[in-house]
Amino acid sequence: MNQQIRPEDIIKQLDQAREVAFTTPKDYPAIFRQVLLFTNNPNSSIQLWCVKFIYDSFINNTVLNQSDKVDLAIDSLDSLFTLSNIKDLDVFLQIIDISTVIFKLVFTYVAENDGCNQVWSKLTELKNSLINKFQSNFPLDPSDNAEHDLSRNVITKIQLIKFIMTVIDYQSKSTVITSNNNTPPPSTTFSLNSVSPTHSLIKYSNMEYESTALLELVLKTFSYDILIAPLISAVLNHSIIIMRRKPQYTSKILNVIETFDTSSKLQSNYQSIEQFKLSRKYVDRIFKIFIHHCLRHNLVPSNYQASLTKKSSNLIEKGNEIRKKNIFAIDEPNIKKRKFEGFYNPSKKIKVMDYSSLYSLNESDNPLNGFNISTLPQYILNNMVVNALQRSSVNKLSKALDIISERYLNALNSTSSSKSTPIPTFGSNGPTIDDDDNDDDNDSYDPETIYTLPPPKDLSFQDKKDQINIIIQNFFKLAKNPNSVNIDDDEDLKVKEEDDENTKVNKELTRIAIKSWKKDSWVLILTRLATRGMRVFVTGKENEVKSPDELENEALSDMIRNSIFDYFLESIHTRIDVIIKWLTEEWYSEKVFNEDLEIKKAQKLNKGKPIEKLPAIQTPIYNKWAGKVLDSMIPFLEPNDRKIFIRLLSDLPYLNEELVGSIKRLCFDPVKSKIGFLSLQFLIMYRPPVKQACLNILKELSECDQEDLRDEAKKLLDKYK
Amino acid sequence: MVLTDSLKICTVCASNNNRSMEAHKQLRDAGYNVKSFGTGSAVRLPGPSIDKPNVYEFGTPYEDIYQDLISQSCRKMYEANGLIHMLDRNRKVKQAPEKWQNNAYAGNFDLVITCEERCFDSVVDDLMFRMYSRDDSNEVRQVVHIINVDIKDDNENALLGGKGILKLVNMIHDFRQKKKDQYEDESDVILEDQMMGILTEWQKDHTHLPTLYSISYY
Repeated sequence: MNQQIRPEDIIKQLDQAREVAFTTPKDYPAIFRQVLLFTNNPNSSIQLWCVKFIYDSFINNTVLNQSDKVDLAIDSLDSLFTLSNIKDLDVFLQIIDISTVIFKLVFTYVAENDGCNQVWSKLTELKNSLINKFQSNFPLDPSDNAEHDLSRNVITKIQLIKFIMTVIDYQSKSTVITSNNNTPPPSTTFSLNSVSPTHSLIKYSNMEYESTALLELVLKTFSYDILIAPLISAVLNHSIIIMRRKPQYTSKILNVIETFDTSSKLQSNYQSIEQFKLSRKYVDRIFKIFIHHCLRHNLVPSNYQASLTKKSSNLIEKGNEIRKKNIFAIDEPNIKKRKFEGFYNPSKKIKVMDYSSLYSLNESDNPLNGFNISTLPQYILNNMVVNALQRSSVNKLSKALDIISERYLNALNSTSSSKSTPIPTFGSNGPTIDDDDNDDDNDSYDPETIYTLPPPKDLSFQDKKDQINIIIQNFFKLAKNPNSVNIDDDEDLKVKEEDDENTKVNKELTRIAIKSWKKDSWVLILTRLATRGMRVFVTGKENEVKSPDELENEALSDMIRNSIFDYFLESIHTRIDVIIKWLTEEWYSEKVFNEDLEIKKAQKLNKGKPIEKLPAIQTPIYNKWAGKVLDSMIPFLEPNDRKIFIRLLSDLPYLNEELVGSIKRLCFDPVKSKIGFLSLQFLIMYRPPVKQACLNILKELSECDQEDLRDEAKKLLDKYK
Repeated sequence: MVLTDSLKICTVCASNNNRSMEAHKQLRDAGYNVKSFGTGSAVRLPGPSIDKPNVYEFGTPYEDIYQDLISQSCRKMYEANGLIHMLDRNRKVKQAPEKWQNNAYAGNFDLVITCEERCFDSVVDDLMFRMYSRDDSNEVRQVVHIINVDIKDDNENALLGGKGILKLVNMIHDFRQKKKDQYEDESDVILEDQMMGILTEWQKDHTHLPTLYSISYY
C-alpha cells in the first residue's frame, strides 16, 4: 500500500506531523526521528522537505531544549552523511548549515563523554564528507576547465568556509597572548582547551594538526593566480574569528596577507578586464579593512605591525588614486590574462543541427569556422590531425570528446521524434559516422577524417581468461603448423588470405616483427608468458597471503601450463624437447625470482650490511609440474623408451627425493622395471645431489617382498653404497 | 505593491537622513523589503554654519527634527538647501534614524547597500566585530552581500544615487528570478557566482557612482 502513496500526500502528512511537533514539544523528538526515516526517500521534494525540517529543528529553534537537540543531533548523523552526498544545491547548502550546528553539539558531547567511538566516527565521517567538497564543485558538475571551476559554485564554498572555520575553532586550543593586550574570548566559547588532555578519541595533536591543514586549505584561496573577489572577501571576513581566538594561527594568516598583492594576479579568462579591475579594487579594500580591524583591536603581534601599517597605507593610497578617476578608463597595460586552457565553446548543446556545430569548440564568431577543411589535400589533413593529436594533452582531448559526445546525445534526444534531420550515430566505442548515403547531401563532411578512440576498458578476469585462451590456441596453431611462419625463405611465405591489402601488411609485418622466428620459437615465448610474463612482484609484503592479482595471474599461468602439458601428453615420445625447455624455464625463472625476493628480504633485515648467507631457494611451482610430468609419463613408457626417460632425468634442471621417488613405481612394473633400475643407476652415477635419494629407494626395494626386485636392488646397493 | 520574494535589503549612510533615506524610499516604492541605518556616532545635519551642525541622537524621530529645524531662525536657509524637504520625506518613510551598530533587533539582511566608502568600512568592520564578540555555539551565520555605491551627500546626488541603487537592486532581483532549468550550467543562476558580472555591468552605466563589494557573514 505504502508504495502507492503519492509524494504530495506524504508531504501533506509530514506537514501535519511538523505542526504537531511545533505545538507539542514532548512529541517533537519522536516525530523528528520518524522524519529521519524519510530522508532515504528517493523523491527530491520529500528530501528537501526533510532537510528543511531538520534545519528548522536545529537553527533558530526555541521549541526543542538543548539536551533534546544533542540527542537528535547524534541520531541525525547517518542521515546527514547521506544527504550531504545528494547532488542538489538547495539541499547541500542547508546541510552545511545544519552540520555546522550539529558539529558543535556533537563535538561537545563527545568531549564530555569519552568512549562513544561510534558517535565520534560518524561525526568524523560527516566532517570529512563536507571538507572534501571544498575543492570540488559539488553539487555542480565540473566544467571543461579548472580555471572556470575556481569561480563557479562560489556560494557552496562560502557556506563551507563557515563549517571549516567552525572545525578549526573547535579543534584547536585558544591560547590568549597577553602581551598584546588581548582580552579573552567570551567565556562560553568552546575550544580544545575544554577537552580532557587524556581523551581517548579527541587527541590534541591530531586535532591541531587537522586544524592547521584546514586553515591552510582555506588560505589557499589567496594563492590562486586569479582573483575571486567574493571568495577572498568571505575568507578574510571569516578569518577574523581565528585572529581573535587562535593567536597561534595569526602568523599563518598574516604571512599570507603580507605577501598578497592584487597587482600580481592575472585576469581570468572568465572575467572581463572591467570585472578584473573592479575585483582588484574590491579585494584591496577588504584587506585594508581587515588590517585596520586587527591593528585597532590589538590582534597583530608586534613583529607584524610595521609591515601591516605600511601595507594598509599603500592600499589607502591606491584606493584614493582610483577613486578620483573612472576605473574603467585607467589604462593598465600591465594587466595580463591567464593562459587559457579551456574551450571557447564548451556548450554541451548545439544550436544548429550540423556537423560543424557538433564538433566546433571555437567561439561561434571565429572566422576559422567558415573554412572548409575538406578542400585541403589528404596528406596535409593527415599531417594536421597527427600534429594536433600529438600536441594536445590526453586530458584536454578527452574533455573535448566528452563535450562532443554530450552534444551528440543532446541532439539525439531533441531530434528523436523528427526523423527528417539526419544526425551522426554512435558506434559501440565512440563517435563514428553513419556512412549512409543520405549523409552526403547533408554537408561536406569527409568521413575519411574521422577517427575513433575506443576508451580502454578494464578486463574482467573472465575476459583475461578468454584472451589467454585465444593466445594459447594461436601458439599451438603455430606449433602444429610451423610452416605458417617461415622467415628463412621469403618465397615460402604461405599466408592463406587472399592477396589483398591486409595480406600485404601481414607479410610485411611478419618480415619485420619476427625476423628470427624459428620452428620452436613459440615454446620459448609461451613458456615465458606463463612464468616471467605473469609473475606479480609485490614489494613490502608482510605475510604470505596472496593478493587477488597474484591469484588471478597464477590461474592464468596454470592455464598455459596445462595446455603445454596436454600438448605433451598428446605425444610424449616426440615432444620431450618441449617439456625439457618448458621445465627448464620454469625452474630458472622461479629460482631467480625467489632468490631476488630473499636477497631483498635479507637486505631489509641487515639494513645495508653485507648478506652472508641466503636460505635455500625453493621452487614449488617447478616441483609440482615436474612431478606431474614424471607421474603422467610413467604409464605411457614402453620398454624401449629408456633413452627418452633417461634423457628427461638427465636434462631436468633440478631433482629432489620426491621427484626421484616416482621412479619406484617403474621398478615395480615388471615390464618397465628395467628402465627404473637403469634410471636409478644413471642418477647415482651422474647426478650426485640425488644419489642418496636413489640409494634410499634401492634400500627400500631391497626389503620388499618381490624377490626379483629385491635381488636387483641389493646388487646395485652393494655396488654404489 | 510589495514583492513577495524580495531580498532583505538595507541602505546605510552616515546619518540615515539623506542618501540612505532617498534610496530607502525608492526601494520601498518599488516594493522591496528594505530598512535603513546610519553608521555615524550621531545624526549630523547642516546647521547655520559649517562649524555649527545640528546634532541629534539616533532614535530622535524625524518629526521632532523637522519641528526643531522649522522653529530655528535660519528656517529659510534649511528650506533653500533642501533640508526641510528631506525631513518631510523622511518622516513619511519611517519614524526615526536608526544606528547600524545597534540594529541587531532588525534581524539579518541579505544585501546591505552603503552610500559612502567610510560607511562600507564601518559595516564590514562591525560585522567582523560581531563575528567573535558573541556566543555563537547555537547559531549559524548567514551570508550577506555588502555593496557600496559612493554618493555625494547632497539632494541632487542622493536622488541620482537612489535611482542607481534601485537599478542595481532590480538587476539583482531579476537575476534571482532566473530558472536553473533554462541554463546549461547551474553556475549561471547562482547569485554569488555572477555578482561580479552584475556589478560590472551596472558600473559601466554608472561610472559616476564608484562601487565596493564584499561578502561577509553574520
